[in-house]
Amino acid sequence: MPLVAALAASHAPNILLEPGAEWEDFMKLHYRMAPQAASSKPSLETQQRLRQEAEKAFAVLRSDLEKSMPDVLVVVANDQFVNFFFNHIPTFFVTLADEVKGQFTRHRFHYRNHKELGRAILKAGLEKGIDFSYGEHIELQHTQVVPLYFLLPEPKIPILPIYVNTWVEPIPTPRRCYRVGELIREVADQRKERVAILATGGLSHFPGSPRIGEIDTQFDHKLLEILREGKGSELAGYSLEQLLQAGDSEFLNWMVVLGAVGDARAASTFYMPDHVATGWGFASWKI
Amino acid sequence: MSSYHLNRFLFDLKMNEQIYQRALSNLKDEISQYDLTPEEQGALAAGDPRRLRQLGAHGMLSLYIMRLNPEFRTNIYWSQK
Repeated sequence: MPLVAALAASHAPNILLEPGAEWEDFMKLHYRMAPQAASSKPSLETQQRLRQEAEKAFAVLRSDLEKSMPDVLVVVANDQFVNFFFNHIPTFFVTLADEVKGQFTRHRFHYRNHKELGRAILKAGLEKGIDFSYGEHIELQHTQVVPLYFLLPEPKIPILPIYVNTWVEPIPTPRRCYRVGELIREVADQRKERVAILATGGLSHFPGSPRIGEIDTQFDHKLLEILREGKGSELAGYSLEQLLQAGDSEFLNWMVVLGAVGDARAASTFYMPDHVATGWGFASWKI
Repeated sequence: MSSYHLNRFLFDLKMNEQIYQRALSNLKDEISQYDLTPEEQGALAAGDPRRLRQLGAHGMLSLYIMRLNPEFRTNIYWSQK
């Protein structure tokens, strides 16, 4: 069964935090690190509007996902020092657990993991020159559960977390991530299950960097325009430096989805910078 | 010297509740368990993420020192990963 759905969504924690007290508390720490951002901090009304716009974007993505009737959702995200540390940083990692769990503030998440598909991707990679790391236990984190809260709130189908190292230098090139996506597509096309894929992260933001608080909205708009034009393969030719300069290292997760969809046009894209930290971006491709 | 041990302490501060509690009680004792330079120990005691980054801590991990700051100990940031 070929790939049936492809999605991409930001995983910024403030998407899921409640506007008002939760958002303000979380951002207090951000503003300490990025005092210049504090001068443009969104009002409660703006926080609520951002949340509503994000929910509208997620509603479109969720509708596309549900219409595709998937049997499994591959979730491509980056670890942020939850499962991996400097004693072992995998460039690409496939989860071979039976189940995966995680918590985000008061929200708890628990999904079955599709380890059979994971093992098939792992083996195909070994045969075709992509040596994934793998493991039988991971803890879900905001990079997965923020989009899953909106897209798969009930664990009706298993997921398959795949990790890309977008955070700890040296990180893989856009072309390499695109190739991983091509491989996942090749495997999906040979499976009996209906496979959907979700990339998370981005768009422009600079966490942990001296540039924290900046958002390169111009670059983000350009990326989304390229997706709408169905020229995703062009982005495989971008240098890593181009992405990093714009604070778009997590777009490497999206590059995996682009490899899976080829030059299909993104049917829906949404963009809403939160003014102080991250350009929230969302996309869905009609397969 | 590698900043591995500096990053390790910061990682443990977020991920290991026992280490966090011990660091709250006695930071000097707790960081003595790690192979840190006097400069790194001083930066941890000062609680300055920017200085930690300059010493080689990963940008995100350097933020975790704020968990010891009385202003941020109960911040919602620590209830998510």
